[in-house]
Amino acid sequence: MTTNALRPKTLPSWLLLVLILALAYAVIPLFGTGYLIEAIMLPFLALSLAGVGLNLLTGYAGQVSLGSAAFMAVGAFAAFNFNLRVDGLPLLVSLVAAGLTAAAVGIVFGLPSLRLRGFYLAVSTLAAQFFVQWALTKFSWFSNNNPSGVIDAPTIRLAGIDMTSSLGRYYFALIVVSLLTLFAWRVATSQTGRNFIAVRDNETAANFIGVPVLKTKLLAFGLSSFIIGIAGALWAFAYLRTVEPAGFNLDRSFQILFIVIIGGLATIRGAFLGAALIVVFPVVLSRVGSLVFGSMFDSGTLDMTQRIVLGALIIAFLILEPDGLAALSHRLRLWRQAPAPAS
Amino acid sequence: MVYVNYFFSALEAAEMYGDDYVGPSVRAQERQQGDIAALQGPLLALENVTLSFGGVTALAAVDLTIAPGEIHAVIGPNGAGKSSLINVISGLYRPSSGRVWVDGVSYAGVPAHRAARLGLSRTFQTPALFKGLSVADNIVTGLAYRNRSNFLSQALGLPLSRREQAGVRQRAEEVMALLRLERYANHLTGALPYGLQKRTELARALAPNPKVLLLDEPMAGMTATEKLEMADYVRAARTRYGTTIVLVEHDVGLVMDMSDRIAVLDYGRKIADGTPDEVRNNQAVIDAYLGVPHDNEQGAGI
Amino acid sequence: MADFDYLFFLEVLTGGLLSGVMYSLVAIGFVLIYKTSGVLNFAQGSILLFAALTFVSLTEKGVPFALALAVTFAAMVAIGIAVERVVLRPLVNKPPITLFMATLGLSYVIEGAAQLLWGTQVHGLDLGIEDIPFEFHGILISTFDLFASGVAAVMVVGLLLFFRYTRVGLSFRAVADDQFAALAVGLRLPRIWATVWAASGLVALVAGLLWGARSGVQFSLSLVVLKALPVLVLGGFDSIAGAIVGGLIVGASEKLAEVYLGAFIGGGIEGWFAYVLALAFLLVRPSGLFGQNRVERV
Repeated sequence: MTTNALRPKTLPSWLLLVLILALAYAVIPLFGTGYLIEAIMLPFLALSLAGVGLNLLTGYAGQVSLGSAAFMAVGAFAAFNFNLRVDGLPLLVSLVAAGLTAAAVGIVFGLPSLRLRGFYLAVSTLAAQFFVQWALTKFSWFSNNNPSGVIDAPTIRLAGIDMTSSLGRYYFALIVVSLLTLFAWRVATSQTGRNFIAVRDNETAANFIGVPVLKTKLLAFGLSSFIIGIAGALWAFAYLRTVEPAGFNLDRSFQILFIVIIGGLATIRGAFLGAALIVVFPVVLSRVGSLVFGSMFDSGTLDMTQRIVLGALIIAFLILEPDGLAALSHRLRLWRQAPAPAS
Repeated sequence: MVYVNYFFSALEAAEMYGDDYVGPSVRAQERQQGDIAALQGPLLALENVTLSFGGVTALAAVDLTIAPGEIHAVIGPNGAGKSSLINVISGLYRPSSGRVWVDGVSYAGVPAHRAARLGLSRTFQTPALFKGLSVADNIVTGLAYRNRSNFLSQALGLPLSRREQAGVRQRAEEVMALLRLERYANHLTGALPYGLQKRTELARALAPNPKVLLLDEPMAGMTATEKLEMADYVRAARTRYGTTIVLVEHDVGLVMDMSDRIAVLDYGRKIADGTPDEVRNNQAVIDAYLGVPHDNEQGAGI
Repeated sequence: MADFDYLFFLEVLTGGLLSGVMYSLVAIGFVLIYKTSGVLNFAQGSILLFAALTFVSLTEKGVPFALALAVTFAAMVAIGIAVERVVLRPLVNKPPITLFMATLGLSYVIEGAAQLLWGTQVHGLDLGIEDIPFEFHGILISTFDLFASGVAAVMVVGLLLFFRYTRVGLSFRAVADDQFAALAVGLRLPRIWATVWAASGLVALVAGLLWGARSGVQFSLSLVVLKALPVLVLGGFDSIAGAIVGGLIVGASEKLAEVYLGAFIGGGIEGWFAYVLALAFLLVRPSGLFGQNRVERV
C-alpha cells in the first residue's frame, strides 16, 4: 500500500483486517475440514509469504527475479540443517537462521543488480535458480547424506507444544506468516520502502537526490530472500513434510512470479490474492472439468488446461489490469461507496 | 541492542537538530550576510569546461560563475548545450576537460550520488518523479539522504526513526505550503496533471534546503498562467530560503523578468553573460538567438 | 601437462562447438523478434516444441514429409499472426519487462495447447540421418551434429542475405532501427511484425526438428529456450552475428566445463555453467559482446 489516498468511506481497512484475522485464526480452524487445511490453507500460506517476499523485490524495488524458488530451497534446507545439527535450537530460531542464510545467498546473487537491469538481471537470477538447485542436489551434506536425497521434516515444537498435527502446523504457519507480513508491511510503508519505489521508478533521479541506490538494491534482495527463505521452510516443514530440491524448480519460481503479477505488484495484499487464485484454481478446474467432460478429463488434461488458463490469465492481467487483483478489489470497494469528492 | 541504539540516536539527534533544521529565514539571512566569505572558492562555477560525445561538442570552453543568492538564467537556441550544462553541474555528465566548482571545492566530475550532501538540487526537463509515490512521499524522499536510521529501526518504529520521520514530514509540509500543494499531498504523482508534477518536482528539490537549485526548463509545456505561477514559486524560494538558482529556460520574456543575470549559449559556447538589459542589447545574442526586435512583431510573413 | 590428451580435448571442443551451433539457431529466432519489436520472446521454446510436436504427430499419422513440413509452417505463421494481434498489439506501449512477462504467459499457453492437442508422450523423430560417428584426424565427430550445423549455417546465410538484399529484409532492419521513422516512410508495422514472427517460427521449426531428432520430441524441448538466454546475453539481444558467436562460446565452454571441471566438482555442471559464464561476462560488459550500449538521455 504505497499511498493512503482515497480511504474508503464504507468498510474501514482495519475492520476488514480484523475480519480476515478472525477468519484465519478462529473460523477456519473451527469449521474447516482436514482437506481444507492440508491441501489449501497450508500451501496458500507458504506461497503467499513467498509472494510477499518477491513483491518487495520485484514489485516495490523493481528488480526482476526469476529465481525465487532457489531461495525457498535455501531456506528449507538451511532450516533443516540448523534444526538437525545444532542441538536444542528452538525451531523458530532455526527459521530465522534459515532466513538469514537465504538473505546472504540472496545478496550474493543480487550483486549483479548493481550493474544490470531488466532482462539482463532476470537472466542472472536464473543463474541463481539453476546453480542452487544443482548444489543442493549434488552435495549430499545438505540432505544429511540421505541416499534418496529426500528428507523428512522434523517435528514442529513451539514453546514445548508439539504442533505437528494438522491444526498445529496450520497455526504455526499462520503465526509465522502474520508476523512476517506485518514486518514486510512496516518496511514497505517506511522510508526504506519509499527508497525501493524511488529506485524502481527513476534510478537516476533517486541517485541524484541522495537515495543510497546500491544499498537499497542489496537490501531489497536481502529482505526479500529472508522472507522467501522462511516461506520455503514453511512449505517444506508445514505443508509437504519433506524437503527436496525438485519441488523448488523453475516452474515454482514462475509460479511465485505469477502470484505477484496476478495479485498486484507493489501491494502487500496482492500476494495473498494471487496465491489464493493459484492454489484454489486447479481444484476448481478439476471439479468443473470432470463435471463437464467426465472421465476424459484426466490429470494430464488437467495439467495442460491449467497451464493454458494460467498463461492466458497472465496475459489478460497484463493487458487489462496491470495492477492485479489488488487494484480490482480496490476498484470494487470504491464503486460500491458514494462518489468521493473531486480530486 | 535497543539501548545501544537509543544512546547513539541521542547523540545523532543532537547533531541533526543542531544543523539542518534551523529555521528557513535565518538560513536566508545567513547566506546573504557573509557566510559566503568563509568559502575558499566560488559557490558554483564552471572553469573552462568542455564536453564532447563522439563527434559532437556540447560545451566548448565554458566559463561561468554564479553569485550566491542570485537567479542566473541560461538561454540559447536548441542544441546550444543548456541541458548539458545542467547535467555537468549535477554530475550526470563528466566534462572532457575543465573543472566544476561546487561550494568552494573543484571537481573534474561532480559526484552525482553525493550531490545532495554538497547542497545541489535539481529538476529535470521531463519530471523525474517517483510515479508510485504520493506527492508528500516524493518530497519526503528528497530528504532521505539525511536518514541515519536503518530498515530495522524504521520497521520497529524506534525513537530515532520516529524523530526523523516527524522532522522530515514537518519540512515537507512547509514546502508544500509554500508551493500550495497541500491538497494534493496524498495523490499519486503519476496521476497528476503535468503542471502539478512540475511543481511537485520543484518542491522535492527544495525540501533539503539546497545551496544551489538547478532548474532544467521548469516551465516547459505549461500554459501562460502556469508559467507565471511557476516563476512566482521560483522567486519565492529564493526570497524565503536564499537559494541560489540556475535556470535553463526557453521563454525569453519570462527569463528577462525574473533573472538577475543571464548567460547565453550558442553551439556550446558562451556568447554573453550579464544583466537582462545588457543581454537584450547584445548584438551577438540578437544575431544568434533573439532576432531583431522590431520586424515581424505582428507575425507577418510567417 | 605432459600427458594432456589433445585429441580428446579437440573432440570435446568440436562436439561443443557443434552443439553451440544448435544453440545459435534457437537464439537467432529470439534475435529476429527482438531486433524488430524489442520483445524478448520467452515463448520461443514452446513455439519450437509446438512445431516439433506438430510435425512429428503428422508424420506418425502417415502424412508425407513435405506436406507435414508445409502444414507445420502454416501453423507457425498462424500462431505468429495471432500472437501479434492478441498479445503484442494491446501491450504496445508498455515497458519491455511487461512484454517479457506476457511472453512468459504465452509460453505456458502454447506449451499447454501443444500437449493438449498432440499428447504428452515422447516421440522419436527420424530425419533420415544416421548418427554414425565418423573420424577426422583422430577425433570422433557426430554425423548428425555436422548435418545440423550445416543446416544451421545454410539458414544463417539465407537470413543474412535476406536482410541485406531483399525489400522485406530491408524493412525489417528499418523497423529495428527506428519504428517511428519506419512508420513515417509508410512501412506497415503490424504486417512486418506478423512476418517477423512467421520467420522466427520458421527458424523455430527448423531448430525444433533438429533438436527433436537429436534428443526426442518431448516437453523438455521447450526448456532449450533457457539455454538460448546466456547465448543472447553474450552475443547481444539484437545481433545475429552475436547469436552465432555466443552460441559457439556457450556450447564449447559448457562441454569443456562438464568434462574438465566436472571431474573436480561432480557432474551436472552443464545445467548452470552457461548462466554463470554469462553472468561473469555481464559484470564486465553490461551490454554483452555485440550488444549496443544504450545512452540514457536525461
